[in-house]
Amino acid sequence: MAAKTKNIFTDYDRNPKLFDEIYNQQGKVTKVYRKLLKLYGKHSINDYYDLNSRAKASFYNQGITFRVYGDDKTNEKIFPFDLFPRIIGAEEWDHIEKGVIQRCKALNAFLWDLYHEQHILKEGIVPVDLITSSANYLDQMKGLDPPGGIYNHISGTDLIRHTDGHFYVLEDNIRCPSGVSYVLSNRTALKRALFGVFNHYNAHTVTNYAENLLDLLETVKPHGVDAPTTVVLTPGMYNSAFYEHSYLAKTMGVELVEGRDLFVENDFVYMKTIHGPEKVDVIYRRIDDLFMDPLEFRKDSALGVPGLFAAYRKGNVTIANAPGTGVADDKAVYTYMPEIIRYYLGEDPILRNVPTYHCSRPEELEYVLEHVRELVIKPVDEAGGYGISIGNTLSDAEVETVRNTVKEHPRKYVAQPIMSLSVHPTYIEETQSFEQRHVDLRTFTVLGPDREFVLKGGLTRVALRRGNLVVNSSQGGGSKDTWVLKKDDDHAG
Amino acid sequence: MAETYTIRYQAENTYEHPVIEATWQFLIVPEENETQTGVEIRFENSAGAPWELSTNGFGFAALRVRNRYALQQIRFEASFRLTKTPVNPFDFQGQPPPLFDPETLGELPFRIAFATFLKETPLTCLPKDAEAFCLQPGAGLLENLQALNTWVYQTLQYTPGVTHVGTTLKEILDMRKGVCQDFSHLFIGIARRYGVPARYVSGYLHQGRGFFGDAQMHAWAEAWLPGLGWVGFDPTNNLLAATDHIKVAHGRDYEDCAPIKGILFGPGSNESRHAVEVQSQQ
Amino acid sequence: MLARVADNLFWMGRYIERAEHMARYMNVNYFSSLDAPNSRSQTRDFVMRSILFMAGEPAADDAKLDEQAVLYRVGLDPEFPSSVRNSILYARENGHSARDLISTELYESINKFYHFAVEYPKGKFVKTGLFDFTTQVTEMTAVLRGKIRGTLLHDDIYAIIMMGVNMERAVQVTRMINAKYNDAKKSLGSYGDRFRNSYEWTTLLKCAESYDMMRRLYKKTPTSLTTLEFLILNPKCPRSVMNSLNQVYRHVLTLDPLRAKDKASTAFLVGKVRAEYEFKRIEDLEGDVQAFIDHILSELSAIGSQMEKEFFHY
Repeated sequence: MAAKTKNIFTDYDRNPKLFDEIYNQQGKVTKVYRKLLKLYGKHSINDYYDLNSRAKASFYNQGITFRVYGDDKTNEKIFPFDLFPRIIGAEEWDHIEKGVIQRCKALNAFLWDLYHEQHILKEGIVPVDLITSSANYLDQMKGLDPPGGIYNHISGTDLIRHTDGHFYVLEDNIRCPSGVSYVLSNRTALKRALFGVFNHYNAHTVTNYAENLLDLLETVKPHGVDAPTTVVLTPGMYNSAFYEHSYLAKTMGVELVEGRDLFVENDFVYMKTIHGPEKVDVIYRRIDDLFMDPLEFRKDSALGVPGLFAAYRKGNVTIANAPGTGVADDKAVYTYMPEIIRYYLGEDPILRNVPTYHCSRPEELEYVLEHVRELVIKPVDEAGGYGISIGNTLSDAEVETVRNTVKEHPRKYVAQPIMSLSVHPTYIEETQSFEQRHVDLRTFTVLGPDREFVLKGGLTRVALRRGNLVVNSSQGGGSKDTWVLKKDDDHAG
Repeated sequence: MAETYTIRYQAENTYEHPVIEATWQFLIVPEENETQTGVEIRFENSAGAPWELSTNGFGFAALRVRNRYALQQIRFEASFRLTKTPVNPFDFQGQPPPLFDPETLGELPFRIAFATFLKETPLTCLPKDAEAFCLQPGAGLLENLQALNTWVYQTLQYTPGVTHVGTTLKEILDMRKGVCQDFSHLFIGIARRYGVPARYVSGYLHQGRGFFGDAQMHAWAEAWLPGLGWVGFDPTNNLLAATDHIKVAHGRDYEDCAPIKGILFGPGSNESRHAVEVQSQQ
Repeated sequence: MLARVADNLFWMGRYIERAEHMARYMNVNYFSSLDAPNSRSQTRDFVMRSILFMAGEPAADDAKLDEQAVLYRVGLDPEFPSSVRNSILYARENGHSARDLISTELYESINKFYHFAVEYPKGKFVKTGLFDFTTQVTEMTAVLRGKIRGTLLHDDIYAIIMMGVNMERAVQVTRMINAKYNDAKKSLGSYGDRFRNSYEWTTLLKCAESYDMMRRLYKKTPTSLTTLEFLILNPKCPRSVMNSLNQVYRHVLTLDPLRAKDKASTAFLVGKVRAEYEFKRIEDLEGDVQAFIDHILSELSAIGSQMEKEFFHY
């Protein structure tokens, strides 16, 4: 067989217009990948075929799967795992880590302000209508002090690397960010499959996530509780992320509860155990705000706990993330992140935001009108991708229409440059070879009152379809083990 | 002169199939405030299930009952006593009465401070093209709102049974009929359209004076007038809320003030009956 | 431990055990009947009726049975709640909702078991796969029992699962006795007391994986009396009702050692039932086997509801 003898990267098709994580513009291998490439070269493509099949079977048998909604109960899919890891050097990671901590702290300060004095609105830095019109702003949270002053205990920050080589934040996820369990199972799978390779690098561990999470959650326990009882609240086993919920409960060594396992009495929360009620102090919830308490929010919610919000109001239980955090990870709020960081921390943003042109500002409007083809034009108040025009896909007539609409209602539109995601060699089953695929990076940050923890790894998601920029698991995306190298790692190769 | 009120509230729920675990929440306790004091509570239910006094998300007293044993019927009975001091809605305390001035209402700090009661909700959202009462700039704000109160009173015909708790303003304006909730939502919708903060109030109305809305819990609206504070308008009766109105809670709309909420799981339908009686003695 | 999760683990144990017994019942009856000493026991119709009886869906006397249809229904039919496939599916669903509490090894085995059952080809199963499928099921359940014993902490969780396993074993063995008692009445032996000497008693012991042990102990061809004594009353037989009750008692005590004397507790009830059988003689039962079977089943069901009340439904 020809495949047996060919070097796995001989046929690697490199598109020079894209930023490749392992080859620079001149086609030379990036420093951190040199050793890896040498080691990988020792295997034939058939070896990768075998390793890939075995890794898939292992994920399937272990039930590391997600369920696809609307399908039959038995329809479980594995989140495809790629054999080629993504490597991030110590220095680069340092920059990312500082950047995401800065963002998470700024978001927390922003949330505190929004639910208290609202200085940032009063000073007109963020428009008031943006906040009050948001369905995710919970009036019930106004004036409440979450234990420890923390709202976004757990944040997932989505980063991409643009063709200019810089990392940009694409999204802050501070409701119930998921994916961390895949970071850990990817690491296990990769070590099983290619432990010889892993041992040549000095990468940070990712197994310390659960203990740091539990530790930080316990620092925001309700007042007057000595040894808090913490639980993970899941919508149940048919939820697409149930594997992750059970994984987190198991590794933290806490109970995994559903709403029906809990009840509220005299504004305290209890779980129903085989020996009767047991008080619960900290809830790491993986259900949305509006489903948490049918007495306070959506009354048709069968997932929640009647009276939970009243217990929270009294300060008898900690809910993480705090109710109402969703208001700060809106797409529209995102465009104000640089201002939000400067306002609360007095610092310049470490990580770049995708630049946003506010058409309400005359000089920016002028730029937008002249550069429609290079921009994505978005209405400020529409969520879920409605009314978005992507400049390079428009006909001449459509460009004209966009120009006119924006000119007519400049306050209603913002524009951003069209971003391109970097690419990374990825094992492709259909062609049995390594090909370029777009990747992003989700980092996980846990915020406490006195310290914070960023998981040194993160989830690199891959768009498995050629040319596709969407990396979501429901859209045929996969993921890679992500190595963050220690400072002393000799990766000169 | 202060009056003492006694209020009796009764509810009876019947379920097609036995309900095993259920929680009910009642937002029926009169609010303790400047004019309503010394609130006493008595509460019991036919299942003998334990009850507790808690709060809803906006801090109003909520009675909560949790039952763990199968039942197909349950009766709740509450009675409250309180002292109510008369209210004079025209007491401007020496200040000049405010005018309706869209510019002051549009100022940022004002809009931020009252954002909760200025935003549209599904139940108070006025259709964009709706022909409704217009507030007159330059005229007194109180007069404007009283005229609005009268307009709502005259526009809708008090008709029980044609609307439900989820009826929108569009439907109400098409039918021109409704009950106190609908009158209040319409008032609130129009006030907010003009930037006047307005909120939904749930409470009791003293019976026996021929007002609409007795024998059930009543609803009206409160609007914020600069210099005056929150003033109650009862568009169902074309009145300003005064001594006969005993407030329980307020919120953005009915959803925040539903007197009874039952959370139970299981199939089958249920039926619910309520009765309210308010008596006073001087 | 959460009451709901305890309930799930209890039922996980029950369904694992249920799958095993049903699978072995199919296997033994189908294959040992092929060389049974009398022609009645050999007929396919007789065997199919026995399998349906055991599955809780006895066929009408005049029903014409299609062998492949019966095997499919009891083995793989997703529409039939008592099919072996569904027992495995329920075991896995119950385990799935408690996967944070059980070992990765145990979960992985259940999950593999589940994929094996739901993906087993129907055509193969009804034509040539019966032996393969049922043998694999019984082997995989043995693996699961090993993982339960060997990879879980022997605490509350273990006790709950083992209560499920042993409760179900007592129920299934009793139901098997019931089914074979029914068969023995129809397929009598060829000598002496023909009911007592029916070949069906041998089949019954094989269904309970107890034939060899029994021969070792009694050194004679099994009769109704010796078989029932062995499978119901012998505490040393790991499949006997007595042994299962002893196990349930032992595990319920680890859950709640202080309540054994409390008359309203599960522990008290199990202890009481256990004491009843400890001092029973097989001769007392022989007069009315059917009444006795019904009696055991109702006592087991009372224990089940008591457990539910005490542990699973706060």
